Amino acid sequence: MRNGVHPGKRGLRRTLRIAACVLALACAAPAHAQFGWIKSLWPSTNRPEPPTGVQDPHYGDSLFYFYQGRYFSAVTNLMVSQHFDRMRNHADEAEVLRGGLFLSYGLHREAGEIFAKLIEKGAPPPVRDRAWFYLAKIRYQRGLHAQAEEALARIEGNLPADLQEDRVLLQAQLAMARGDYAGAVRALDALAKTGKPGSDVALYARYNLGVAMIKAGEAAKGAALLDEVGRVPTGSEELRSLRDKANVALGFSALQEDRAEDARRSLERVRLSGMHANKALLGFGWAAASGKNLNAALVPWTELAQRDPSDAAVLEAKLAVPYAYAELSAYGKALGLYQDAIGAFEQENARLDESIAAIRAGKLLAGLIERNPGEEMGWFWNIAELPELPHSGHLAPVLAQHEFQEAFKNYRDLLFLARNLKQWEDSLDVLRAMLANRRQAFAERLPAVRERERSIDLGIYDGKRNALAAELARVEREADVAAFADARERELQARIDSVRAIVERGGSDPEIAAARERLRRVAGALAWQQTQNFADRLWQAKKGMADLERNLSEAHAREAALAKAQRDEPAKLDAFAARIEALAARVKALQPRVAELAAAQQNQVQELAVAELAKQKERLAAYVSQARFAVAQIYDRANLAQGDGSAAPK
Amino acid sequence: MLTRCCLVLAVALCAAASPVAAQTTTANLDDRIQDVKGDVIRLNRDLMVLEEELLFPANTQVAIFVSMDVGRLFSLDSVKIKLDDKDVANYLYTPAEVQALHRGGVQRIYVGNLKAGSHELVAFFTGKGPHDRDYKRGATIRFDKSTEPKYIELQIKDSTGKLQPEFEVKVWQ
Repeated sequence: MRNGVHPGKRGLRRTLRIAACVLALACAAPAHAQFGWIKSLWPSTNRPEPPTGVQDPHYGDSLFYFYQGRYFSAVTNLMVSQHFDRMRNHADEAEVLRGGLFLSYGLHREAGEIFAKLIEKGAPPPVRDRAWFYLAKIRYQRGLHAQAEEALARIEGNLPADLQEDRVLLQAQLAMARGDYAGAVRALDALAKTGKPGSDVALYARYNLGVAMIKAGEAAKGAALLDEVGRVPTGSEELRSLRDKANVALGFSALQEDRAEDARRSLERVRLSGMHANKALLGFGWAAASGKNLNAALVPWTELAQRDPSDAAVLEAKLAVPYAYAELSAYGKALGLYQDAIGAFEQENARLDESIAAIRAGKLLAGLIERNPGEEMGWFWNIAELPELPHSGHLAPVLAQHEFQEAFKNYRDLLFLARNLKQWEDSLDVLRAMLANRRQAFAERLPAVRERERSIDLGIYDGKRNALAAELARVEREADVAAFADARERELQARIDSVRAIVERGGSDPEIAAARERLRRVAGALAWQQTQNFADRLWQAKKGMADLERNLSEAHAREAALAKAQRDEPAKLDAFAARIEALAARVKALQPRVAELAAAQQNQVQELAVAELAKQKERLAAYVSQARFAVAQIYDRANLAQGDGSAAPK
Repeated sequence: MLTRCCLVLAVALCAAASPVAAQTTTANLDDRIQDVKGDVIRLNRDLMVLEEELLFPANTQVAIFVSMDVGRLFSLDSVKIKLDDKDVANYLYTPAEVQALHRGGVQRIYVGNLKAGSHELVAFFTGKGPHDRDYKRGATIRFDKSTEPKYIELQIKDSTGKLQPEFEVKVWQ
């Protein structure tokens, strides 16, 4: 067996994460495939250059949250912008994003409706294909396999690359679901031909398929797939662990068929310090034992028996070692080791009881939450740190369960929702206070505004405007050129008038006659000048009149707006207050629902953990029985030997 | 021994690949949890709509966005925004946020209220420019605010010709 990197604390964390991932993938819905499709909600995850650009900034705002993994903020912001109709240029993409995010939160029905609507309305082919893919995904998750395959068949080849891979994987899963393993292999082979045979998801899919085939009785074909995974060269710890897992499954499958040498070859490929090392050591021992080479079997079993007893393989080794000694006729040694094993099993049983009590006291979930905080609700999240509990080693297999992880995520989501509702409860108080301030400010300003309103009588200005308009009309009609006289002309006219009075009193004096003539010419010059300027002055006057009209009408509009505001503002504030109270009632109604579900979910998660530990206890009880039975057998043999006069166990 | 071997094998394979059938009670609880999640998401939308209408009515609303078009020539650290000579935003970016901008996200960095009329916006971008040098640049724009909401996008672009980052302001209408 090859040496691997010692896990250590960091390694344990990683190991747990990997375990969770592998087990998740081993179940029906592979975690990696989910990661792929959520990434692909928006096709530009690996953005081409130059970027296509967002045509509505608010759509980009939702993407800003989405790309940070803040899916709750992404979906709520998206829905707010949809409400205000701020994403017209990305209406379809926004719906795909919303549907995908709903789906990620398990809101299958609503997500399904969104995608179905997109298809019905005849969205463009890339959007339609994505909608069909998600519909297929939803139907598969709901167990509607035939309908899921039908949806997959509607995809026309416009999927982004990431989704294309997920589509093939979904196709393989569907084939597996109806027992068509050959079909699943064909789908995965097609994926291999796309140049990504070693991608994480493809390897996980091959592993799952191999295990499924062995379980379905197609051992040779399943083993061939597992062998492929078990030999794949890879640098990543995650895939090395998957490779170990495949080799362990392969080794035990060979053991089951009494192919000890094949088992040994597969188990040899498992790293000595990986998370699957214990199982491999156990199997390695059995492979040797089945070839009657018990001395060779004792080497891995003795090493294994000294490891952490919270692993089932270690407990099993504690029985296997004395079994081997007994087979080698070293009965005294075997007897002592069986008794040690019984003691170790009883200690382990007591530790399991302590762990169960700690879980039921809520310490497991509290510890997990404390050690694995997260900003938002979301399923793309893994338990990275074990909580501090007396015997946290028991929890590794518990936490690695897909079902536990999913249930715990739901629990964590509910705590997030409870916090979210509490924050809104506080924010609504702030909004209420703000509304009260506005009411107060309105009430305080209203008298001053009304006073000012009273002091400005627009009717007077209307009257003046009307008089001016009438005068202008008369001037134009009568061509009253003198009406537009400026100050200088008016002064000149006054002087002409006064000179004219003098001249008229002067009689027939010849000098007066000359003055009269000069006066006539001056008056004529003035009239001529005014006539010349009349058209321009009339235009200016009309323009001034239009400005006056506009200003007056703006003043009227402002007066009307003010009056409307006075009339409407209380109603508007009342409407806001009513909305605040209606929403506060919804917050209030949801809080106990969330609290009740969180308590129920906590109980469910804890019971999942307890059930796993109970299984460990059952296994221990079986081991204790086996050990006691073996001890009894050894004593029986000794009694028989004494009866025969042979030696007692040594 | 064979029995034991089978037991171990069962443990190994079971732990590896057994899909656990969901129990009815679990399914009911799951359904109720999904329902409550949907209800809270919709409630959040309605609350956010109310908050926006109350705090930033459409006739006075102004929103400022930051986006990055390629952005290879500029590694963004922070953005500071002044509106009519008043500091309204001073934002320090996390690597995850910068990454989100690179991928096409657009950050709404500020939302506030402005009266109708002419206003001035000044934005300062700090970060690392070409050759990893400290880089600080400003962009200014005068804009008219009507009684419609105003959306202004500050765009960080790469000028491949000049091999320099460019900062542009786009006014959406």
